[in-house]
Amino acid sequence: MTSITKKTGASNDTSSSNEKISLKTNLQDNLQYIKNTLGESSDIITREIRIGQEGTIKAGIIYTDGLSDATSLQNFILETLMLDLKETQLEENLTTTTDLMDTLKDFAMTVGEIKDVTNYDDLFTSLISGDAIFLVDGYSKGFIIGNKRWAERGVTEPTAQTVVRGPREGFSENLRINTALIRRIIKDPNLWMESRVIGRRSKTNIAIMYIKDVADDAVLEELRTRLDRIDIDGILESGYIEELIQDSKYSLFPTVYNTERPDSTAASLLEGRIAILIDGTPFVLVIPALFTHFFQSTEDYYQRTEIASLIRLLRFVSFGIAMLAPSLYIAAITFHHEMLPPALLISLAAQRESVPFPAFIEVMIMEIAFEILREAGLRMPRAIGSAMSIVGGFVIGTAAVEAGIISAAMVIVVSITAIASFISPTYDLSIAGRMMRFVFIALAATFGLYGVTIGLIALVLHLCSLSSFGVSYMAPLSPFIASDQKDVFIRAPIWKMIKRPSFISKNSIRQQYEAPKSSKDTQE
Amino acid sequence: MINKKILLLLSLIFLLSGCWDKRELNELAITMALGIDQSDDGYKVSAQVVVPSELSSKGGAGHSQIVLFQATGKTLDDALRKLTKESPRLIYPGHLQMLVFGESLAKEGIGKALDFISRNWEVRADFYLVVAKDSTAEEILNVQTPLENMPSNSMFNTLQKATVNNSTTTGIKLVDFIGDLERKGNEPVLTGIIITGDKKSGSNKQNLDSISPSARIKYDGLAIFKEDKLIGWLDEYDTRGYNGITNQVKRAVSTVACPEEGEVNLEIQNYQAKLKSKTVNSSPKLEIKIEVTANVGAVECFIDLRKEETITELEKTFENQIKENIHHTIKTVQNDFNSDVFGFGATIYQQDPKEWKKIQDNWEEEFPNLKVNVDVNVKIEHVGAIDNSFLQNMKD
Repeated sequence: MTSITKKTGASNDTSSSNEKISLKTNLQDNLQYIKNTLGESSDIITREIRIGQEGTIKAGIIYTDGLSDATSLQNFILETLMLDLKETQLEENLTTTTDLMDTLKDFAMTVGEIKDVTNYDDLFTSLISGDAIFLVDGYSKGFIIGNKRWAERGVTEPTAQTVVRGPREGFSENLRINTALIRRIIKDPNLWMESRVIGRRSKTNIAIMYIKDVADDAVLEELRTRLDRIDIDGILESGYIEELIQDSKYSLFPTVYNTERPDSTAASLLEGRIAILIDGTPFVLVIPALFTHFFQSTEDYYQRTEIASLIRLLRFVSFGIAMLAPSLYIAAITFHHEMLPPALLISLAAQRESVPFPAFIEVMIMEIAFEILREAGLRMPRAIGSAMSIVGGFVIGTAAVEAGIISAAMVIVVSITAIASFISPTYDLSIAGRMMRFVFIALAATFGLYGVTIGLIALVLHLCSLSSFGVSYMAPLSPFIASDQKDVFIRAPIWKMIKRPSFISKNSIRQQYEAPKSSKDTQE
Repeated sequence: MINKKILLLLSLIFLLSGCWDKRELNELAITMALGIDQSDDGYKVSAQVVVPSELSSKGGAGHSQIVLFQATGKTLDDALRKLTKESPRLIYPGHLQMLVFGESLAKEGIGKALDFISRNWEVRADFYLVVAKDSTAEEILNVQTPLENMPSNSMFNTLQKATVNNSTTTGIKLVDFIGDLERKGNEPVLTGIIITGDKKSGSNKQNLDSISPSARIKYDGLAIFKEDKLIGWLDEYDTRGYNGITNQVKRAVSTVACPEEGEVNLEIQNYQAKLKSKTVNSSPKLEIKIEVTANVGAVECFIDLRKEETITELEKTFENQIKENIHHTIKTVQNDFNSDVFGFGATIYQQDPKEWKKIQDNWEEEFPNLKVNVDVNVKIEHVGAIDNSFLQNMKD
């Protein structure tokens, strides 16, 4: 594993590593070079000190304010060197010793993490990541003191994926906290982690987590190749990585899953999937991600199997409604009047009597108005939220119908569509359905049900052609795998799911547990 | 890449042809009932069209909820086309519920009109066909009806309920009629519809302002056809017999005389009639086997329902009554109309095709003389929540 890390570390730094500039011997030269390179940035603190008897040894400490822990630097480095060392045997040794640096490292540096540094590239990377640099005059070598500490958000409740029953912790922006959260759930030595640094300028830390004997090696190898291919200046969020490693360039449907829940990530790892953690975002990527994966919520497994199965079915139905309801309505009222019962047809005709637009224009007005409302609600300051809901709800819901511009039935259709699109446990898939809706509306308005059917056939063909890291996107529905149907439209009892999904993991046995028995059963 | 772009551009061509047959709901004249009468030069069509704005939840302006458009033409198609001269919207017959024929047209033959109707792809085949007895279709469609907000709805629902709950009417839909017309050894029938009261005031909305509307429409009798021509009417008694023979009784009430005086009402729960053809001495003979289960609905005489003999006797009386009714109906149809509306010929054709081959050319002569044997078996199952009538105790 370590060899891989080194290899990728090298490959990422190729541009600058051809000729690494070595440190200079003179302390002042070094300090001046650092200052010049960083443009005398005000958050870089340099502190020159003198140590040894009569202060004959000149040394310097450089750190980035805000990223390094100044208190511990004072307590454990400065205080030790400048005060505690005074009039000790060690102080005498310092001036007489042949290798001052080793002596300092072995006896005086009272910190845990310490590394040698001999060139400027490593120095700058460490300095800007929050480590402190210790340099001594006369030596072309320094120490990197592991001393990172910056302001960060703690572990809070996830906001994008909420549950009624289940753990309340969510990932945060810190990579270490995130890996720790997963390690705390899966205490298996086979839970391996590979790290990588991606981004020429952002130098973002990325960790790949998987369970060694469960994850599929082919998928893992594919992921490594795709990550190594990335050459970009910065990675700001997991979305960057997702777009750079996904299978199909232009599909509306996501082939990489993202979550901010450690329990969801752990469940994926246990199924044999691979997690990609990116420093700086609480959203963790999970691959391979298949169509049915996006209909699963962690809570399905915490609730009782019956209700979980019903809710799972409800999600599939809602996805259909969110995608098709307006188009089916359009098709029925502009082309296929004979499909509606007479009473309904007359009721709809009565509502449409005063509407001046064709049904297609009517639905587009409503859908676009709704999309504007939704986007406005997301982006604007929260304080204005109530004003918007009044205007949106009143203008669109009531006034448009009262004025006879929009029929009441259309408001109902658009509202049901909107609500149905909110039920999806993953935002990504509901976005796909949301965009497909407009395609279907256009098809319905031009060809009626015939168009909708053609669109559905094309959609199914497209979905079946997709794959996520070599795994068919529609598995286990297409190709149909009978034994893996336990976690698709229904969620079978946990004691029945003794195997892992066969399309994800080759190591199939998950548990040997059989049906629960009461004491009565065992007596017999 | 270039190919893909061209393909994308080509796919836009499909959009050019789109929408051509799109019709918005407020461009349609939703026709719920259609009346066809005879006119001097062909057909006179009356289309009962819904006025949606009057049916909206906001209440409308208080005008009539339906409007009648009329036109005459040489053919039905021609007449319907001419309706556009009067109606601002295109006549849309997809939700047709009632098709009413005037009596005079029915006598001339309705086959040609039905050909057009059943050929039209827009029309469903599940609407009822009725014949306006002693009036024109136009007059029937000119009456406002209570309870339902549209007369067509009222007519449709009434006939549907009556078919199930009463054995003295039967609803015939387009598919049934055409099926009867085409089948060998079978002639069609149609339900009759009449107006009672003041025909002229029926069209006015004030017709509904009174508790008892001055003009009403109701179903009455059965129109007997020979091929597509009306030849006569069966009364209520014989309609019941017709339903009994053709196994169309679902739930019904019959009145049976008590041994002494008074009457007992029996509610038919289950009715099963089977036709069987037999050849005796090289002449065809039919047997009708009827199984009935009934409950006692009301007792208006003094009988002891706790005794088994009383029940058996009631069953016997009812059996004879049914038998008599059926014989009377058969005789009426054989003698007065000579039209095989029961499908006796079809039964022989199905069960004894060789025999049918011999007689089919002479069926017209054979039918009036056909011997029909009726065998009825009645079973009374329940007597209701009480046994003997309290009328008896009242007397004591």
